[in-house]
Amino acid sequence: MKWHKPPRPTDESALPTTAYPAPPKDTSRLKKSFGLEKSANRLPIASEATVNSHMWNLLWSHKGGFLWVAVLQLLTTSAALIPPRAFGGLLEDLKNRPDATQVKNTVYIVIAALLLQSMFVYFTKVRASILGEFVLSALRERFVSRVVELPPNVVERAGAGELLTRTTTDIDHITWAVRDAVPVITICLVSIFGISTAIALTAPLFLTAVFIGIPFVFAATRWYLRRSPQAYRVESSSYAIVNSVLVETAESGRTIDALRLGEQRVNRTDASISRWVEWERYTLRLRSRWFPVVEINYILPVSAALMMGAYFYNRNMASIATITAGILYAQMLAGPIEAMLWWIDELQTGKASLSRLLGIHEVEDREIREGSPAGRDIAGEKVRYGYRSGKDVLKDISFMIESGTKLAIVGPSGAGKSTLGRLLAGVQPPNQGRITVGGAEIGYMPVEQARTEVALVTQEHHVFLGTLRDNITLAKPAASDEEVWQALRAVDAETWAKDLEKGLETLVGSGGVRLLPAQAQQLALSRLVLADPHTLILDEATSLLDQQAAKHLEASLGSVLAGRTVIAIAHRLQTAHDADLIAVVEDGVIAEWGSHEDLLSAGGAYAELWRSWRDES
Amino acid sequence: MSATPFDHLPVPDPGQPDLRSVPKFLWWVGVRQRKIVLTGTFFGIINLLCVALMPGVLGRGIQAIADESSSELQKAVVSALAIGLLQAAAGILRHRRAVGSWISAATRLQQLVARKAVDLGADLPRLVSTGEVSAINSNDVERVARVYDLIPRLSGALVSFFVVSILLINSSPTLGLLVIIGVPLLGLAIGPIIKPLQSRESAQREKLSESSGLAADTVAGLRILRGIGGEETFLKRFQNASQNVRAAAVRTAKMRALLDGLQVILPGSLVVGVIWVGGNLVSRGDLKVGELLAFYGYSAFLMIPLQILTESAQRLTSGVVAARRVMKLLRVEILQSHGNSKFPDSFNKLTDLKSGLTISPNKFVGVVCDNSLTADELVDRLGGYLESDQVFVDDTPFSEITRDQIRSHIYAQEKEPAILSGTISTLFNVKNSGRISMEQAIEAASAADILDSLEGDGYNAEVVERGRTLSGGQRQRLALARTIFVDAPIVVLDDPTSAVDAHTEARIASRLKQIRGAQTTVVFTTSPLLLDHTDHVVMISEGRVAAVGNHFDLLKQNDEYKRLVVRGE
Repeated sequence: MKWHKPPRPTDESALPTTAYPAPPKDTSRLKKSFGLEKSANRLPIASEATVNSHMWNLLWSHKGGFLWVAVLQLLTTSAALIPPRAFGGLLEDLKNRPDATQVKNTVYIVIAALLLQSMFVYFTKVRASILGEFVLSALRERFVSRVVELPPNVVERAGAGELLTRTTTDIDHITWAVRDAVPVITICLVSIFGISTAIALTAPLFLTAVFIGIPFVFAATRWYLRRSPQAYRVESSSYAIVNSVLVETAESGRTIDALRLGEQRVNRTDASISRWVEWERYTLRLRSRWFPVVEINYILPVSAALMMGAYFYNRNMASIATITAGILYAQMLAGPIEAMLWWIDELQTGKASLSRLLGIHEVEDREIREGSPAGRDIAGEKVRYGYRSGKDVLKDISFMIESGTKLAIVGPSGAGKSTLGRLLAGVQPPNQGRITVGGAEIGYMPVEQARTEVALVTQEHHVFLGTLRDNITLAKPAASDEEVWQALRAVDAETWAKDLEKGLETLVGSGGVRLLPAQAQQLALSRLVLADPHTLILDEATSLLDQQAAKHLEASLGSVLAGRTVIAIAHRLQTAHDADLIAVVEDGVIAEWGSHEDLLSAGGAYAELWRSWRDES
Repeated sequence: MSATPFDHLPVPDPGQPDLRSVPKFLWWVGVRQRKIVLTGTFFGIINLLCVALMPGVLGRGIQAIADESSSELQKAVVSALAIGLLQAAAGILRHRRAVGSWISAATRLQQLVARKAVDLGADLPRLVSTGEVSAINSNDVERVARVYDLIPRLSGALVSFFVVSILLINSSPTLGLLVIIGVPLLGLAIGPIIKPLQSRESAQREKLSESSGLAADTVAGLRILRGIGGEETFLKRFQNASQNVRAAAVRTAKMRALLDGLQVILPGSLVVGVIWVGGNLVSRGDLKVGELLAFYGYSAFLMIPLQILTESAQRLTSGVVAARRVMKLLRVEILQSHGNSKFPDSFNKLTDLKSGLTISPNKFVGVVCDNSLTADELVDRLGGYLESDQVFVDDTPFSEITRDQIRSHIYAQEKEPAILSGTISTLFNVKNSGRISMEQAIEAASAADILDSLEGDGYNAEVVERGRTLSGGQRQRLALARTIFVDAPIVVLDDPTSAVDAHTEARIASRLKQIRGAQTTVVFTTSPLLLDHTDHVVMISEGRVAAVGNHFDLLKQNDEYKRLVVRGE
């Protein structure tokens, strides 16, 4: 009897922070799209048919393993069937002719059966887990290997959040299902088959007694399974929301204190608890109806078997041995039936997750067009781009950047500077017009080629979990120590890197040595030294550092940038001042274009801003 | 059955817990929900007793069949049905109350933790890590609560074990003793394998979190990998980790399979013993056939209380450990002392003894620090978050003023203020002077374009936790808009435009000055665009006031000031 749902791991970072809607007040079914699909699924989800055929393929490609498990389980069940039978026989004999030798024989048989059963149990479980873990590791590795080759624009659009959910939560759910649900269901199915066969062989008529409750259980379970899987998912997510509300309170302690939001936060916690409890109530109502029916499934067969036994015995159609064995078998059968029903909804959760994992394989690949660059000049021709139709962020932009130019892009927030940077780096092609490098459209080059031409560095500086060396040699895994040190020197990071206890082999990232933002930024730039693209796009690459650090870094960057085309998107006017050319982007168009001196003498928006910044007014 | 035994949760007020000791704490929680625990216990006992008595009834039935006594058989069948139905009814009633018990305890503890967190406020990060709070709330609270869910079943197990033992001893002292001694022995026999299993399980969990950590890390840095390269290396790394998980999981599974095997053999040996002893008793005529069947059933039944006892021991241990951690959090006290005085409605000066910084009322003051850490600390001091006995309003130290009075008079905005999740308009659901509308505040912080970029009319757009979907500059401007909206008499700002482009910064500077009007505003910054609009500037060097004056004068006369403010020279 397993009353409690096993706790399912939930990834809190993936949860919506707003509460789920309340459950129905009775036991009516939830609407189809209830709460769960709320976050916009920007990545595809595989269809039911794809999932089914994939599951079938999995089963088929491991048919040998499955067969093994099934055969072993059949042996286990057979061994388990011996003691009741032998015991029944003993009762029969003792009743007719009390004799101690019968007892001894029965004991030997039972001991032998127990030894066999426990041995088979061991091998079944081991085999099942070897198979399960193999399937699991194949699933997760195939998923991650697809993730790392997703087109860059998909990665950007989906955001880390959704991919992360699929990588962590969904893989967890599948692990849960494959590790527990699949073996349990297989084992239960085989047990049910084995026990039923045994009953059929000893006393076929008992089968009716045994299965008397099945129609009820079946109907109740169908009713239950139509409501429960979704309800449990919302329940466990709403439990996790209670925690994420508290974590937010703890993390934002200072702000909450300052704004005197304490009472509001307490109310919000209570509200999130209240919502979770409502879901607990809903699932409890479901169980309150389902459980008793399943429980009765334990009771009816036994009473029925007793009555039938009496009937047969009176007519000399059955012996005490058969009746005893029949009753004991009837009791044995209820367990696997219930367990199987129980795990079927775990399996459904696993299936939902599988459809999200497989969905990744349905992402369309990047469109590739023929043509290789001749030269390093970058040109834009009538570029238009918008994230949503009708709302163009870039409106008809044309420009020409000669190789080796240092270009600064400035302009107010939301003007389209970052979007232009992404298009220049070939993250994706513009909706209309062309952006070319040496005449070839960069948005249609294979990713591996495009990044040898142009590299984009943003303010997002992720330090990978791994050694310092791993973090730098992304583009050139085989780089020698000397090359790595050279890269560190170029970004002014040699000193602190030398101070690290294990040098290049020091573990950094979460869990390892924590690097300061400035150091992380230096790492990001050192990667570029080894990647060696001819054009660099720096999108507010130093905006999160404080002034002194930024100044220092920019100074040491000189050697990295020398000879390359550099396009810097910056909010510090100093960066613009130092550039060969300045593009002022306003409202999706290039409003001003020229050198610092040109723009100052033109007396436009840039000139005005520069003067107020330098206090020359 | 649409009402449940926990319709009243969560309670309006969780009360004051007894934190003197773990037993007192657990008792305190239990007493608060005694009704549900006690009724649950009652049904728990009934439920397991029914299960325990079933073999006896079956034995009678078989005996009746053997004796060809139809009246006895009828009785047996009716009793089997009745006991079965009672068992099912008590089972579900027990379950409902057991769930209610743990949820009562869990909600009460969560409420206590949340109230504690709010009470600690700005001091919380200095006292406990967020991770700790989260771990306590998500793991420990549930572990403590599960102790109460256990009570009904544990009581049922103890009572039914006792009853079955009596029944057995009455029929056959030998058999009774065999069972009473055998069952606890079996419990102990499984013990030695539990430890290595647990250590393998924890090794497996470690490998698993390692591999999912790597996967998450790879995904988090995927943009960089796709932009620069290295996918192969990271994929290989993950594959290795994944294979380690597989190996660890199989190792654990082998140990668990061994345990499963033992769980066949060990209870089986008890059954063998019962058959052996019982069979001999029957062959000597000391026991009836039906009774032997009942004994066979009893020995199988006793595995249930055994299992419950083992589980209880584990749960109680982890519950006590968890209770200790919850109590430790609930015992934490806030650092800053607060008195009962009011904050004066008008004042002549705010003074910080440590730095010598003095702020006069109704001015727009700039503070330039040679070090951003000094700035952060000074903002905290002026807000009354740090060493509040060192900071004075006129002659009253902050430590003598109530917390609410300080907060309602001074709003000190830290460097990265939190953007709480919710919609844009809920961000502005804070206590405010009522002088400035939300639209005006957004306009002043030059944040209107953020609303345009969001869905709908912008105000109802969702902002996720920590404002992760917004850029640094957007977060900064929204926080500034909120501060403007609160409109505290004294506003202190820590580098409020560090992530904003020059165009926007210039706009913010003039609007901020205008909207604050004649109220006290202190801006910690090194940006000339902001300093340009101040009434006067204080320069802090090496933690002390080094110069005071007008921005332009300082720019001309003070070389250090010039170096700090004018970038790139």
